[in-house]
Amino acid sequence: MSIRSGIVGATTLALVGLAPFAALSQEITVAIGSEPSTLDPHLRDDGGERQVNDNIYETLMARTPEGELVPSLAAAPPTQIDDLTWEFDLREGVRFHDGEPLTAQAVVESVERVIDPANNSEQMAYFGTIAGAEAVDEDTVRILTSGPDPVLPSRMYWLKIASPALMGSEAIGSEPVGTGPYRFVSWSRGNDIVLEANPDYWDGEPDVKRVTYRFVGEAGTRLSGLMAGEFDVVTNLLPEFTGTAPKSASVPGLETSVLILGTDNEATADPRVREALNLAIDREAMAQSLFQGYAEVARGHHVNPRAFGHVADLEPYAYDPERARALVEEADAVGRTVVLVGESGRWLKSREQIEAVAAYWAEIGLSPEIRVQEFSQYLDSLMGDGPRPDAIFVANSNELLDADREASFIYHMDGAAASNSDAEMAAWIDEARVTTDVAAREALYERIFRKGRDLHYTVPLFNLQDIYGLSERIDWQPRIDAKLMIDEMSVE
Amino acid sequence: MGGYVLRRLWHGFLVVFGVTAIVFVVTRLFGDPVALMLPLSASAEQRAAFAAEIGLDRPLVVQFAWFARDVLTLDFGMSLWQRRPAMEVVFERLPATLLLIGAALGTAMLLAIPLGIAAALRPGGLVDRLVVTLGLVGLSMPQFWLGLLLILVFAVNLRILPTSGSGTPAHLVLPALTLALTPLARLTIMLRSALIEELAKPYVKTARAKGLSAGRVFGVHALRNVLVGFLTLAGWELIVILAGYTVVVETVFAWPGLGLTALQAIQRGDLFLMQAIVFTIAILIVVINIALDVAFKLVDPRISLE
Repeated sequence: MSIRSGIVGATTLALVGLAPFAALSQEITVAIGSEPSTLDPHLRDDGGERQVNDNIYETLMARTPEGELVPSLAAAPPTQIDDLTWEFDLREGVRFHDGEPLTAQAVVESVERVIDPANNSEQMAYFGTIAGAEAVDEDTVRILTSGPDPVLPSRMYWLKIASPALMGSEAIGSEPVGTGPYRFVSWSRGNDIVLEANPDYWDGEPDVKRVTYRFVGEAGTRLSGLMAGEFDVVTNLLPEFTGTAPKSASVPGLETSVLILGTDNEATADPRVREALNLAIDREAMAQSLFQGYAEVARGHHVNPRAFGHVADLEPYAYDPERARALVEEADAVGRTVVLVGESGRWLKSREQIEAVAAYWAEIGLSPEIRVQEFSQYLDSLMGDGPRPDAIFVANSNELLDADREASFIYHMDGAAASNSDAEMAAWIDEARVTTDVAAREALYERIFRKGRDLHYTVPLFNLQDIYGLSERIDWQPRIDAKLMIDEMSVE
Repeated sequence: MGGYVLRRLWHGFLVVFGVTAIVFVVTRLFGDPVALMLPLSASAEQRAAFAAEIGLDRPLVVQFAWFARDVLTLDFGMSLWQRRPAMEVVFERLPATLLLIGAALGTAMLLAIPLGIAAALRPGGLVDRLVVTLGLVGLSMPQFWLGLLLILVFAVNLRILPTSGSGTPAHLVLPALTLALTPLARLTIMLRSALIEELAKPYVKTARAKGLSAGRVFGVHALRNVLVGFLTLAGWELIVILAGYTVVVETVFAWPGLGLTALQAIQRGDLFLMQAIVFTIAILIVVINIALDVAFKLVDPRISLE
């Protein structure tokens, strides 16, 4: 034995006792990007918290891995009693991990906790329309809204139901108790969170018996841990790492990148200029070179392709620099300065996307001016009261998979990130928000997004894919809603 | 000495107050913390309600008065991001950072002394040239890159150390080495040149001429004379690391320390946690400075503290 391998062997022996690597079957280690700030399911809008709690808590409605809304703790899809009231029958025989039965009262308490102004929940962005909840009997609960709300069933897919024993207790932030397939074991702050399979789970005990979450912010370190055999699943694998990882899996994600154009700005007021800004970009080439193909070119509007209200037959913008150049000349805009605002680092390759777009714009005779801002300054440009930028980049996430998100945020003239003053479109969006008839609502969205496409209010870019790195032994198909459901994974 | 320490403490108090006040104003003037905290989809009313809840809708002067009152009782409020007292978060993460810095700087100082001496003994010799070259390499190597390289070699290829995390001594090795390299290089090169200069001084020749052994001249006279400079630089390294250099290493190695927490607090607009962290670091730096001055006095009695 050489000296080096002797040292290696001795050190390895010493380490086996100290740091057991994820080797036992049915026990996996998942590396997520950030530690949950809290395990309270109701207060924060926090990706790390969701990645853990989605396995501990359940919601009245759930989604299939393909995104279809299905009942979960509810026994069936809700029935609408009137414009403002939705009734859910609860699944029978479900118990929380502490043995308490799931009752209508428990649902009411969780709903009331989220919407209680004293709790100042960041999740109110999803639940703003909910006015309250009431128990009809032991197994029937009604959710009340402040106005007609067609998105309510989707909202209930976001609202986690916690054990009544946790209400008013400090423990809700550190020792979660839900009804889900996994129950909480331990949280060593800064290091890991451990969950174990719930043997009494109503839908059958899951395959993976124990899961450890590790918190690794740096993408290169996550990849290293995967290659060293320490991790079985890592989130947000960079596209360029897919060849290096033992295995990877991808799925269309929730985020769509888009540039919002200032329709009242001098530089971009002319629809011909805005069309030229769209036609100038070779989106296919960008998807290949920036994302190694892990991005889908947006179809003429910036709505998530899996969301309700997405118009599948809207025409994508072609790459036609000749026509774009002609349009710029026609609009007498040759050499015109177009200010393009963005940020760097918050979203996958946002800076690279902005720089590529600016280069394409320079090709058609405009002079783009890139302003990459610090994130809070950028947010002020995006949503503040100041003048609208000619163009601003955003990667818009649609958690509820409903087109109201994109329409209200970016197209509605009063929306936080909107750069137009189209009162007619705003009226349509308001109407769609309260129309509970599914077909009528779909038709409204088609009208809205067609108009947005006809007048080129935005430069839609890509629907980005989520990529996960997997160890050889893991079998898993990621979900389109980006939820990290351990019970859907299996170990070979 | 007592009077001196008291006076330094008073200066330190002014420094801590000044730093805290600047952080307070800057975080509120640039960017909107509420916009950072809430999801992009939050409505204007929700943002206003959130701002009112944490007191950000009050005039800056009123906010500062409240803040100053709370600081006097060491109450930094609730971390917006973690929803628990900010000081609790700081005290939970501070030991990990101090452990990492202690291990890194300790290694750097322990290695720098023999390396510096070895190089200074024969200036221009093989050892000297090797030390200087390696030192320059160490100085110019970006920590971020070095960290990932060490992970690749020792964790992915050799598999003798874990890639990231904390909890066992094995977890400490790579981050501490990464963090140690720059100070090690700087301390070694500094010690080497100071020693070369010192050894050329007439008193060394005199001491040798009257028959003192090389070891005694070296270890007792020359080394002690350069030790103050060495300690000054080491103290400076400690402060620089504490004030930010750990952030990179803690991020790469997912080390749950205060640097990583500070970065996350800034990204998430968590004003209260940021204030608590800056306050704690400022106090630490003041204390370290006073401790160093006292240490200099002990090493070199010629130094006057008045």
